[in-house]
Amino acid sequence: MRNRARIAIWLVWLGLVAVVGWGVARHLQINSDLRDFVPPARNADQRLLLDEVGNGPGSRLLLLAISGAPRERLAALSRGLAAALSHDPAFARVANGSEDLADLASGLLPYRYLLSPTLDSHRFDAGYLREQLQQRIEDLSSPAASMLEPWLARDPTLEILKLAQRWAPPRQPPLVDGVWFSGRGEALLVAETRAAGFDPAAQEKAIASLKRRFAALPGAAGAKLVLSGPGWFGVEASRRTRAEADRFGAITTVGFVLMLLLAYRSATPVLVTALPLLSGAVAGFALLALIFGHAHGITVAFGFTLLGVAQEYPLRVFSHRRVGVATAVCVRELWPLLATAIASVCIAYLAFFASGVAGLQQLAVFTIGGLVVAGACTRWLLPQVVPAATRDMAATPGLAKAWHVLARLPRPRWLPWLVAVAGSCVIAWAPGPFWQNDLSALTPIPQAELQRDARLRAALGAPDVRYMLVLRAATAEGVLALSERITPRMHALVAQHALAGFELPSRYLASAATQRARQAKLPDKARLQAALRQAMQGLPFRAGVFAPFVADVEAARKLPPLTPSKFEQSPLGARLESMLVRQGDGWVGLGTLSSVDEPSAIAALAGETHGAVHLLDLKASTESLIMDYRHRILVALGLAALLLCVAVTLALRSPRRALHVLGPMTLATLLVLVVLRAAGIPLSLFHLVSLTLAAGLGLHYALFFERRTGDEREDLRTLHATLVCVASALLVFGVLALSSVPVLRAIGLTVALGVAFHFTLSVLMAPAGHLRRDG
Amino acid sequence: MLRNIAALIVFASTATAAPVPAGDLAESLLAGMAKTPPVSTPFVEVSYRGVLDQPLIVSGTLRWLGGDRMERDIAKPFSEIATIGDGQVSVQRGDREVHSMPLSRAPQVGAMLAGFRALLGGDVSSLQQDFTLSAVGGEARWVISLVPKTGQLKQQLVSIVIDGRGHEPRCLTVRNTNGDSSITLVGAMARQGLQSVAPLESALAVRCRDGGR
Repeated sequence: MRNRARIAIWLVWLGLVAVVGWGVARHLQINSDLRDFVPPARNADQRLLLDEVGNGPGSRLLLLAISGAPRERLAALSRGLAAALSHDPAFARVANGSEDLADLASGLLPYRYLLSPTLDSHRFDAGYLREQLQQRIEDLSSPAASMLEPWLARDPTLEILKLAQRWAPPRQPPLVDGVWFSGRGEALLVAETRAAGFDPAAQEKAIASLKRRFAALPGAAGAKLVLSGPGWFGVEASRRTRAEADRFGAITTVGFVLMLLLAYRSATPVLVTALPLLSGAVAGFALLALIFGHAHGITVAFGFTLLGVAQEYPLRVFSHRRVGVATAVCVRELWPLLATAIASVCIAYLAFFASGVAGLQQLAVFTIGGLVVAGACTRWLLPQVVPAATRDMAATPGLAKAWHVLARLPRPRWLPWLVAVAGSCVIAWAPGPFWQNDLSALTPIPQAELQRDARLRAALGAPDVRYMLVLRAATAEGVLALSERITPRMHALVAQHALAGFELPSRYLASAATQRARQAKLPDKARLQAALRQAMQGLPFRAGVFAPFVADVEAARKLPPLTPSKFEQSPLGARLESMLVRQGDGWVGLGTLSSVDEPSAIAALAGETHGAVHLLDLKASTESLIMDYRHRILVALGLAALLLCVAVTLALRSPRRALHVLGPMTLATLLVLVVLRAAGIPLSLFHLVSLTLAAGLGLHYALFFERRTGDEREDLRTLHATLVCVASALLVFGVLALSSVPVLRAIGLTVALGVAFHFTLSVLMAPAGHLRRDG
Repeated sequence: MLRNIAALIVFASTATAAPVPAGDLAESLLAGMAKTPPVSTPFVEVSYRGVLDQPLIVSGTLRWLGGDRMERDIAKPFSEIATIGDGQVSVQRGDREVHSMPLSRAPQVGAMLAGFRALLGGDVSSLQQDFTLSAVGGEARWVISLVPKTGQLKQQLVSIVIDGRGHEPRCLTVRNTNGDSSITLVGAMARQGLQSVAPLESALAVRCRDGGR
């Protein structure tokens, strides 16, 4: 085939990958909804965790601190940012201490006598009214007069201000220049995003908008804006992971290209080697788009990792080319073995379908589709593009010597058994936890930022993100009544320092029963007027000045109680909305807690309420969810291992030969576990996926070393191919093992260790006969 | 509350003699009042409010503590301490709990405070950012008027008028846009006290202008 035709095919191939890739990128939705990736919830807490917590009131809060400028300027920036965000559709509310709650509450003015607790302990009789009016006269001489005076005629008992105080945050930072400041002189704000806390894409947009608005404020140039909170951590974690992966990706790409040039002394491999892998990835995405329409971000990340096996296919072809023989011929000779490897791995991944988890099924579709397409491209397209070799890789200087060295290594028969037994002992008895259940241990967020979050959270009295109080009832009214009933108990718990503060749904909206009880205590018009006349005697109020008050009370006597849906239309509605949610056929109230010190004291509420109220430990629920998930992955992997054994045995048509392939794979995987255990590293899902990738690579090493060719030069080519594959895997994953991002480090370390062990063991455990042929 | 702070602006004058230049009378009078804190004076405040059919009278002490900190203590007819500082107004009545609110929620207090600091620091131009100043009379007997320029202040306040003699202010009359008004007697006038339990606004105004010695 002439070079021009090759270049044309290469261009078409590249173009096809680009076009299909572009089309898929437009249609496949990559989401970050955890529900897609983890197994279905098994209990009510897990369901709540998945349904609501990302949406929950606590996780949507961003904590902001502005520093680095004089106090007046910081206060002005705080006000400017709050004003800008109040018009931003990405944010449900923003608070910096300057908001006038009386303004917000005024939307609910007609309902004030039903919502305020005043009538629970008082009646509007002459005695109470006189005491109130006397206080109002004193108020008129105080600096607050101009604030109170407009309300006086309608609301002489100041119910609207009592509501405003009730709805103000339970604990506030001190006000300086009218806005919240921390002890360190930072201006503090809280912004609640409309997007769920664990929706990194939407959080990223909201945060970008927030930063843009801050930068546009006059005087923002020298000041520093610091963000914190679950949404920010999610965005920051993916940014750091991506940045580090990109940086390492650049380093390894350069290293990989240099290595290819060194190994093959030709530019062709550099131009072609990535194409099968890319084709496989694009095909995998296309399958996901066709079958599911969407994929979870973690599926994509795991899938890409597992697909890394396909990088070996073209490398094997380049190493096995012979001078004067068409590439197609060489590929055809190599294909049975490659096909065995691909088929075995694909059959193994079928086990993921049985997992019953959408995320893992997507992973199986992506990986199997990707591997088959990458393999097919290597078999049928690659030879059309790659010219016949001008150099036999078997003649690579030093290669023959390396073969001799490897062939002469001692291979005691008892060694694998000793390794297996000793390794099992280490795995079984090494101290430290086996599994990593704590997701936060995998966060790439530096400790200093986590400490800052704790500091800001404490300063702002922002709710704890670990604990929530869950109230269950059949109806929303039932939840509100329950919330009212436990409020005194919660106050008692605050008094005994079990926690610093709490917010329950009934803080905003009283139950209909309570509203009706208050309503029943409102006097009729004649009685109120008589009481008022008596109360005003000897006080300087102008006669008839309280006529609007009398009219409002009369109107309130006839109002239907305020319902949650109506309250949710008010400016404060968003807060109740996030605390009162429908779940299944019941209703759930979510109470936020701050600075929980004695969770057990709060958890005791469950007993007192016969389980209607209980403390939800988000950390424990997440961990139980992860344990469920891991269990399913382990079952799937176990099944995959069995299928692999069967497939390899059938392909090689000999249990003995299969043992030569599967033995080193098993031992190498065991050894990686031994190293991780001995180093005290608990295993996470990422370790498991990486072990699987390493095993896939190990299968190649073992299959090729096990092959009987009877041709010394072909054996040297096998060694060349394997060395290039091992070196490239060590390069890519060894660099990743140096990462500061825990997830990348876990993948890098595990795969690099795995590759090293798989290679060593597949050499040491290869059938001695054909290795030592020349010795 | 702004009338109280306005009172502070002017009570600061004491017997220190300062030459009165022939130029802008308001500026020279105000410039002569620059003081070193802490400064204090007794006050009597008579306020006339639409919701009341009688004037409301309180008396006590006003104190400027320097910077943006000041205190207004009411002794009669009830006890209340109002502290202004760090952008906040805190009020404690009797031994009840302290109520605080940000100065930003009472914009006029904030503006007055800025003016007050500028004034006692001798910085009249800063006061002129928020108010138009004018004056009539001479060194012996004068009236300075402050009319707000800025939006928020203008919505609540019509004018502040200060009556004084020599370097001592005597009365401060504040008119609000809602029709309410108040007259605060400071310095010597406050010490003389009121002659009636319900003085007419007009009578009090005349006394500020002409009465006394």
